[in-house]
Amino acid sequence: MTQLDHTSHEITSGEIRAHLRERSAATLRRRMLVSKIMTVLCWAAIVAAAVPLIALLIRLFEKGTPVLFKSGFFTQLPQQPTLFDQTNTGGVSNAIVGTIAMIVYATLASVPIGVIVGVYTAESESKFAAAIRVVASTMVGAPSILMGLFAFGVIVVQLKLGFSILAGSFALSVLMLPVLISSTEIAVRNVPTTLREAGLALGAKPSTTSLRIVLPAATTGIVTGAILAISRAVGETAPILLVIGGAYAVTWKPGDPGSALSVSMYQDVGQAYDSLKDQAWGIGLLLVLVIFVLSFAARIWAARKQKVQR
Amino acid sequence: MNENMVNMMNALEDQAIVDPRTGPIAMRLNKVSVAFNGRVAVRDVTFDVPANNVTALIGPSGSGKTTLLRSLNRLHDLTKGAKVSGQILLGDDDVYGGAIPATVLRSRIGMVFQRPNPFPTMSLYDNVVSGLRFNGVKKKSILDAAAEESLRAAALWDEIKDRLKAHGSTLSGGQQQRLCIARALAVEPEVLLMDEPTSALDPIATQKIEELISQLKSRVTIVIVTHNMQQAARVSDLTAFLLMGEDRAGEQIEVAPTLKLFSQPDDPRTMDYIQGRFG
Repeated sequence: MTQLDHTSHEITSGEIRAHLRERSAATLRRRMLVSKIMTVLCWAAIVAAAVPLIALLIRLFEKGTPVLFKSGFFTQLPQQPTLFDQTNTGGVSNAIVGTIAMIVYATLASVPIGVIVGVYTAESESKFAAAIRVVASTMVGAPSILMGLFAFGVIVVQLKLGFSILAGSFALSVLMLPVLISSTEIAVRNVPTTLREAGLALGAKPSTTSLRIVLPAATTGIVTGAILAISRAVGETAPILLVIGGAYAVTWKPGDPGSALSVSMYQDVGQAYDSLKDQAWGIGLLLVLVIFVLSFAARIWAARKQKVQR
Repeated sequence: MNENMVNMMNALEDQAIVDPRTGPIAMRLNKVSVAFNGRVAVRDVTFDVPANNVTALIGPSGSGKTTLLRSLNRLHDLTKGAKVSGQILLGDDDVYGGAIPATVLRSRIGMVFQRPNPFPTMSLYDNVVSGLRFNGVKKKSILDAAAEESLRAAALWDEIKDRLKAHGSTLSGGQQQRLCIARALAVEPEVLLMDEPTSALDPIATQKIEELISQLKSRVTIVIVTHNMQQAARVSDLTAFLLMGEDRAGEQIEVAPTLKLFSQPDDPRTMDYIQGRFG
């Protein structure tokens, strides 16, 4: 410590205190001003973010709600309006079934693989696991049309299985895989080390510890991740547009060409008739509602589980 | 130095000192060192752990107490870059000799951790018998008997016998820690390692655990790491004092019967530590 020369400046403690008071009052005034400016900026940011979203939702509900209540929307096949009956658009039963079928098949295929790979990348220290981790996190952000092109190349061109629900499911499962791998990996990594150690200290094998302690403790995170992957896949248009073929029939068969809500919406928007454009709004609203319900369910479920376990 | 310590030490000095190491020995440590990625964390620790006694490891933060404790049940095995050298014997078996699988050794040497860590997805009952199940026990009658017996031994049976299907999170911190003790006891270990088992607990829960430790001696050999010197003085029969050496590796300064170590230690550094001059 340097030696302070007290004799050269005779400042009393009273003077120090007075100076401090004065400065702290000034500092406080400045802080209050900064605080006010920041508050205004925060509100401006919130408005900037919320207004377009709310405007979109209002428009969506306004245009979409009547369509959802139109008779036959859920049960009829699409109809082509004619000059004489411009409102005859039918329903979207084929697209609803097609979307459900594709989501179910894609989920059945991708969830087990994604979870297993995710657990592996979380538990393994190997270079291979690190490579998968990098690939998965890159693919999460990849443009979804890539998955469509890939499915087209593999299922339609190489395997000659044709434009089909199967090809769409394949594209969606490729889209979901990286999301599942990453979310599973995070969920497994979030399990406290001390639980794993407790298992080992009881004489359990490392594999037993992973399967019977770590994996159950990570279930909440894994399921939440899966639901979010599914809700992302539900609304995707690009990956399936190229490969499902489009069909005016209700079918669950993987080998058949199919339809999907997102694809129908895309096609309806491009039609000349206003009734079809309105139909697109209805489909959009339906998709948003489904995604909302899914992600809301995921949150509720996770919160409940968390409560039981903590 | 606080008053409690003075009183305690005065009381200790009046008692005759018996070295528990003259009786049967449960574990022998011979020049045990632990290094992480080449950096030595604990160096050349050598002492005997007397059977059916409580051995306390004390020392300031960074002196390697926990690191040493975790080497006893091979918990460093899964830490990349960790290396344990020297020899550790459990009875006549070499812990790191390779003849006995780590899983078998770990079921003979139980462990209780710093924070209570019941398995969150399992019921109280499932927690207690989990070690048995991991080792292949399926018979309900055996599991039931082991659950009751080890919960009684952990002084928890009367408190939870009516809600064995509940989750661990419904218990208080102290109860959770006793649940973890029951879980460790259920696999009938010869040695029980305790890593600061009361550091996350309130004084009343701490007292209960300390009473439990004294009761469990007849059944299992206990090695306990503690930050709390009074706790070491209260519960242990033998105390090992570790201190960080010049190269930041923990070294053993003195191992002595607890009464002796706290009343007339041989090493001046031990005296400094127990009088609160550092750490």
